[in-house]
Amino acid sequence: MQPILRRSLYAMVLLSGLIWIFASADKTNSSTAGHIPAPQKGFLAPEFKLETPDGRTVALTDFRGTAVLVNLWATWCPPCRAEMPTLEKVYEEYKDQGLVVLGIDAANQDNLDAVAAFEKQYNLTFPILLDTNGEASALYELRAFPTSFFVGRDGVIKEVVVGGPMSEALLRTNIEEIIK
Amino acid sequence: MNVLSSFQNIFAPPRDLILIILAAWLGLALSERGATRHRVNLDSLGNMLLVGVSGFVVGGRLLYVLENLASFAQSPSSIFALNTSLFDLWGGLAIAGLSAFAYGGRIHLPFWESLDALTPFFASLAIGIAFSHLASGAAFGRETNVPWAIDQWGALRHPTQFYEIIASLLILALILIQKPNPTAGYEFLSFVALTCASRLLIEGFRGDSTLVFGGLRAAQITAWFILCATLIGLEYKKRQEHREE
Repeated sequence: MQPILRRSLYAMVLLSGLIWIFASADKTNSSTAGHIPAPQKGFLAPEFKLETPDGRTVALTDFRGTAVLVNLWATWCPPCRAEMPTLEKVYEEYKDQGLVVLGIDAANQDNLDAVAAFEKQYNLTFPILLDTNGEASALYELRAFPTSFFVGRDGVIKEVVVGGPMSEALLRTNIEEIIK
Repeated sequence: MNVLSSFQNIFAPPRDLILIILAAWLGLALSERGATRHRVNLDSLGNMLLVGVSGFVVGGRLLYVLENLASFAQSPSSIFALNTSLFDLWGGLAIAGLSAFAYGGRIHLPFWESLDALTPFFASLAIGIAFSHLASGAAFGRETNVPWAIDQWGALRHPTQFYEIIASLLILALILIQKPNPTAGYEFLSFVALTCASRLLIEGFRGDSTLVFGGLRAAQITAWFILCATLIGLEYKKRQEHREE
């Protein structure tokens, strides 16, 4: 290719790039669409209403304005068991700063007696919710146990952690972000 | 769409990392094949890559620890936790580059020739990253009503992960079929220019961009500046080629 042609091509590429940058700008400033519910970072946490083992109904909207850690687990899942003591420890430490932990047991794949024993074994003080018909698991597109969603005070998911056990530092780092 | 959801179920995070590792392995095989053509010692190149990967893993974690020192001070054992989220990606990449550069210099590996030899590795890695985005649903597109839109995260969106896969496959194909260029560094710079141009284009369809200056996409601006520098580099290499002729 002739040098003059090559240089003209380079200049055209750069100019087109510049035009595209301005043409494709997101003028609404809502790139991650924080108002659409979806189980992904940057989206509104999908709404659910579940029952606790003692029959109380708890909805995610009850905690709007609060930092929420939604943890999906099952009693038969070893990493879920492994991370529970740490989860309880950081909950105790941060609850006065406005942190709520909602432990959702995939009750449609679990044994309710085992859930009660599990709660007692790990002295869990945060609310345990029973996903008896798998509604929350479907809403949150659960693909692996445990999965945790760190939801900010604005109801937007700030981080998703799939798999476990989560280390204490990972929990602290993400909790510090959502309680801001 | 059933094929897509099966793929997403099989390679859901953190299993999407398998796709990146697989692509790195394939890329390494391609780079090894081309190393002799670039007059680069295969063993030295492999060692440099190993140093770079080690720098990436160790450096990325160490930088993350330093950035969140208060959290790690209360649980020092977390430094060794098997959580992939405890990682500074850009810091890891910077340390990988620096450590590979330092090691390459120490064993007298030619700089541009080594980068040329590693170009298929980088191009293959980009394909792996694109597939991992598809598996995890990351790097998703903005809402649209084009006929080829996909239903993702509660809306019909541009299938940006597919755009990314197509672009990275085309770039690898171009690299593999292009005539060998005698000027050292030309292949690598061509790859960088093509990658920046594709990012510049595809980013405009993304729905998760970091926005600056009232809605401009930060990644596009960065890609434009790198593209600019790369094209200047390519022009310089062409002149060098003419002088040598």
